[in-house]
Amino acid sequence: MLSPVLIGLTLLIIIPALMTVPLAFTNYDALTSPDWVGLGNIREMLSDERFFNGLRASFVYVILAVPLRLLGALTFALLMHRPGRGMTFFRGAVYAPTVVPDIAYVLLWLYIFNPLFGPLNFLLPLFGGGDAAPAGWLLGGTSAQIAIVIALFWTLGEGFVLLMAALQDIPREMMEAAAIDGAGRWQIMTRITLPLLAPMLLLVVFRDTIHSFQANFVATVVLTNGGPYYATSYLPFWIWQNAIDYHRFGYASAMTLVLYLITGIAIALQFAVVRRWKLAYLD
Amino acid sequence: MRSTSRRSTGQRSIFRPIVAALVAALFLIPLLWLVVASLRPTGLPIPAQMQWWPDPATFSNYRDIFDDVPMARYALNSVIVVVTVVPLTLLTTSMAGFAMTQLSRRWRDVFVAVLVAALMVPVMSVWLTRFMVYKWLGVLDTLGALIVPGLMGSSPLYVLIMFWAFRRVPQETFEAARIDGAGPFRSWWTIGIPQVRPALLAVTVLSFERHWGNFLDPLLYINDPKWYTLPVALQGLQQLHPSDWPLMMAAAVLVTIPAIVVFILAQRHFLREYDEGNPFR
Repeated sequence: MLSPVLIGLTLLIIIPALMTVPLAFTNYDALTSPDWVGLGNIREMLSDERFFNGLRASFVYVILAVPLRLLGALTFALLMHRPGRGMTFFRGAVYAPTVVPDIAYVLLWLYIFNPLFGPLNFLLPLFGGGDAAPAGWLLGGTSAQIAIVIALFWTLGEGFVLLMAALQDIPREMMEAAAIDGAGRWQIMTRITLPLLAPMLLLVVFRDTIHSFQANFVATVVLTNGGPYYATSYLPFWIWQNAIDYHRFGYASAMTLVLYLITGIAIALQFAVVRRWKLAYLD
Repeated sequence: MRSTSRRSTGQRSIFRPIVAALVAALFLIPLLWLVVASLRPTGLPIPAQMQWWPDPATFSNYRDIFDDVPMARYALNSVIVVVTVVPLTLLTTSMAGFAMTQLSRRWRDVFVAVLVAALMVPVMSVWLTRFMVYKWLGVLDTLGALIVPGLMGSSPLYVLIMFWAFRRVPQETFEAARIDGAGPFRSWWTIGIPQVRPALLAVTVLSFERHWGNFLDPLLYINDPKWYTLPVALQGLQQLHPSDWPLMMAAAVLVTIPAIVVFILAQRHFLREYDEGNPFR
C-alpha cells in the first residue's frame, strides 16, 4: 500500500534531486547530450556577478520577509485565537489571501502598485504617507524589493493557523494560576505563553525561511521580471533564466546545488536548535 | 489571560474585536480592490482618486474574457486536472498513511524521516530534472504532467497528515480486524477511512488549492495551448492585453472564486477553536 507513494517520491523527488548533482558538472542544453566540464560551472559561478547578486537579493528578501511575516502571524494569532463574536470570519479574512491562486494574486498586486491608478498610491496620502510613496513602486531597485516583501506579507495564512492552533493548545489554567499569583499580562506573555509556543514558532520560522527562498518566484516573473536592473533577480529567478531562456541546464544545476547547501544548513540549524531546546526543556 | 482581562474588563473586551475587525479589513481590502477593478467599464479615463466602488459598474468584462481566448477550454482543463488529481491524492496518501501505522517502529521512523527530507527539497531544484522524468514517462505536454504528482500524494506533507490521523485511530481495532481475517486493504477501507474523515477533508482542500492555482507546472511542462490551465491562461491574457485591467482582473476573479468557495466550505474545520478534527493540532 506504500508503493504508489514510494514510486511517486522516487520518480518525482528523489531521482530528480539526485540527477541535479551530476548535471551540475556538465554543459547540457536539453538538445544534445551533456558534455562533462568538471568544475567548469562551479568556477564560472564563483566569478558570476549575477549569481552573487541573486544570492544577496534572496538573503535580503528572507531577512526582511521572514521576521515580518512571523511577527504578523504571531500578533494576529494572539489577537484572534480565543472565541468571540465574528472571530471565525476574521480568521477567515486573514487566511483568504493565502488561498488566492498565485498568478491571480500577483496580477492583483501589479494593479495595486500601478503608479498612475493603483489603489496603494491613492491610499497612502490619506494616511499622510504621500511623500513615502514612490512614484513607481516597481521602477526603483529598492522600492521594487520592498514591494515584493509587502505583496507577499498578506500570504502569511499558514503560520497564522499553525500558531493559532498552538495557542489554543496551551492550557488556560496555567495562565489563570499565574494571574492569581500576581503575574501581569506582560509576564504571562514572556514567561508562559511564548516559551510554550517556542517549538511551533521555531517550526514556522524554518518552514518560512526555506519557503521564502523560493516563494517570490512567481511575483518576480510577473511584477518585475527580475528588474529593475537585476534588483529582484533572486537566486531562483536567475536559475530559471539560465535554464529556460539560455538553455544552460548544467549551469542552472550547479546553482541549484547552492540552494541545496543553503537548505541543508537551514535544516541542520533547525535540528541543532530543536535538540538544544529539548534538552533545556527536560532539565 | 482570562483572569487578567477580568481585572480590566470593559475596555479590553471592546478593544480586541475592534482591532480584530481592522486586521480582517486589512486582509480583505486587496481582494475588494480586485473585485472593484473587475467591474469597471473599459475605456473610461483613468481615475484621479480612490474608487471604492466603480460608477457605473458592469459585468461585461466577465463576458469579454471568453471572446479572445478559449477560456472555457482552459477552465475545462483545470477541472479535469483537479477532479483527477485530488481523488488520486486522497487514495495514495490515505493508503500510505495507513500502511505506515502498520510498519515496525524502526521502518516507520525511517519513512517519516524520508517524507520530512522530501518536504525540505526546494521545489525549484527539481524543476529541470523532472522535465526529463516526465519526458521519459511520456506525460510531457499533456495534462498527465499535472496529474502524475498525485501518485506521491501531491506533497509529502499530505502523507504525513494522513499518517498522523491514522496513528490516532486505536490500533486495537486494526488488530481485531486482522484476527478476524480482514486483509490490509479491507482494514484500511472499512475501519480506517471512516475514522480519518477530518484529515481527508484537510488533504482535499489543501491539494485542491495547490493544483487549482498551480502556475509553474503547466508553464514548465505544457507547451501546447490546447492543454493550458486557467492560471497559465490568465498570464496569457495579461500578455495579450497588458493594459486592459478590468478584463485581467475579471479573469483573476474567475480563477480565484473556486479557491475561495472551497476554502469557505471547509474553513470552519480549520479555523474553529478546540476542534478535534483540525489536522494542524
